[in-house]
Amino acid sequence: MTRPIEAAGLVRHFGDIVAVDGVDLVVDEGEIFGFLGPNGAGKSTTVRMLTTLLTPTAGSARVAGYDVVAQAGSVRRSIGVALQDAAIDPVMTGRELLRLQAVLHGIPRAEADARGGVLLERVGLSGAADRRVGTYSGGMRRRLDLALALVHEPTVLFLDEPTTGLDPMSRLALWEEVRRLNNEGTTVFLTTQYLEEADELAGRVAIIDGGRIVREGPPKDLKAAVGAPTLVVTVPGDQHAKATEVLSGFGGARPGRAGALAIGLHGGSTAMSGVLRALEDAGVEVEHVELDAPSLDDVFADATGRRLEGAEGPGSPDGQDPA
Amino acid sequence: MSAVVLDPHEVHIGTREAVEQARALARRSIVGTIRQPQVWLPGLLFPMFIAAVNTSTMGRSTSIPGFPEVDSLLDFLLPASITQSVLFGGLSAGSDTATDIQTGFFDRLLASPVSRTSILVGRLTGASVMGAFQAIVFMAVYGAFGVRLAGGVAAGLLLVVYAMVLALVIGGFAAMLALRTGSAEAVQNVFPLTFIALFISSAFFPTELMSGIYRSIATRNPVTWMVDGARHQVIVGLDWSEGARSLGVAAVLATLSILGANAALRARLRQAS
Repeated sequence: MTRPIEAAGLVRHFGDIVAVDGVDLVVDEGEIFGFLGPNGAGKSTTVRMLTTLLTPTAGSARVAGYDVVAQAGSVRRSIGVALQDAAIDPVMTGRELLRLQAVLHGIPRAEADARGGVLLERVGLSGAADRRVGTYSGGMRRRLDLALALVHEPTVLFLDEPTTGLDPMSRLALWEEVRRLNNEGTTVFLTTQYLEEADELAGRVAIIDGGRIVREGPPKDLKAAVGAPTLVVTVPGDQHAKATEVLSGFGGARPGRAGALAIGLHGGSTAMSGVLRALEDAGVEVEHVELDAPSLDDVFADATGRRLEGAEGPGSPDGQDPA
Repeated sequence: MSAVVLDPHEVHIGTREAVEQARALARRSIVGTIRQPQVWLPGLLFPMFIAAVNTSTMGRSTSIPGFPEVDSLLDFLLPASITQSVLFGGLSAGSDTATDIQTGFFDRLLASPVSRTSILVGRLTGASVMGAFQAIVFMAVYGAFGVRLAGGVAAGLLLVVYAMVLALVIGGFAAMLALRTGSAEAVQNVFPLTFIALFISSAFFPTELMSGIYRSIATRNPVTWMVDGARHQVIVGLDWSEGARSLGVAAVLATLSILGANAALRARLRQAS
């Protein structure tokens, strides 16, 4: 069976920098596959290779059944791509850009106009279709970007950080549209640095860090594998050592926010009162305490020893690739 | 890395589809330019302003012995104004390409099954059509101030074609810079060079009346060869050999700059390999 996306040992170097270091991926038909990682982890470089914008240094990949290097033209006809930053010509109208995109995909004008109208309606831009894109809000641009990616009815849709910079309402609206597309059968490859986005949308996620995939699977399974919930305790700076000693008796240390201590709490929430008592007995003043159910951030921390939120990659040039 | 082996059964873009793509991209280029008057208006007004100043301050220079016989200095300056306008305006083909690269629109094009050549052809066709527009505007405005083309309608058509080819020269050169550097600023920095090329030529003063090194450079400047051929149609009359000289020089330069732009495009595409 032909899978929408298959990659084996995908590597990409930029000079001495290894941006992607042996990525293996399999995405099944009808999936929303989340590709999660911090800035510079290799997400965009991987997407650029899968969408034929970059040639892999080593390894191979097939998208929609076609090799991304030897059959790049066929790949381009089969995929829809919405890259970071919604690069849309501000002096053109939404309708004009849809028509242009349709021509680039070889769609006859009459059909392009009809399809454009349907897509504008679908993404809620009918009223703004004849306005220049420069007057659109960020959310409207993203929705137009999505419509542009769909004009030729692709079987595989690549969304590279589609909600970065959007307000919460626009983000929710875009999530809804992605779900709807997926329900209609489109396979979606979604890169994001937002944990919640991957958790909400993706049936499976791969977490990439330093150009390598460090975890892969359904979010539920990945979180379950982390096990215990994370207990986060904030104490005065001069009591950190004493608190760390007390906490070590209740679970293994986990990476925490600056100034806070975190452990994977054995025994779950029922053990929390015991921790607080032990800290009090040791004379530690607890300023703040919270118990977090395992999240994808915990999965990332478990795999890398760092927190994903606010994390930067180890320096690969994501988003600054040559064209 | 290993050499890329292409699948012989890979779907290729047909000529008809590539032409359609180039036409759509040319339309985008033209519409995009027209909707930004700040891009094209200075290129029209500035040469008119210079011509107006020259005519009022140096109008009597036409009576200097050796100056070509003209009704007014404006007759003499019409081809210069067209050349100046097209040289300035054609740079936008490059800066717009660079802007596409900087904003990511170029990647959007590359991720679609568009013929890579159509991207360049579309942009240069747009520049060429704008060149025709500029030539027509100058002939109309200067005509309103009494300039008559000695070569008649055919001379007018020749000037339009000259402007279109000249737009390819500067457009191709600017696109080459844009594709090499990806920087709109780098393209705009060429502006002073076009200015120098224009002023050390016969555009604003006949070479016969120049002297010294200035004359030596001007007589070897391709801008002189192009402007003189175009001017002949305005102030003397229709002359196909003069016209062919002007268009021929422009065509050779256009070919070179388009080849350069195409090489720059291929080099940019190879960067992804």
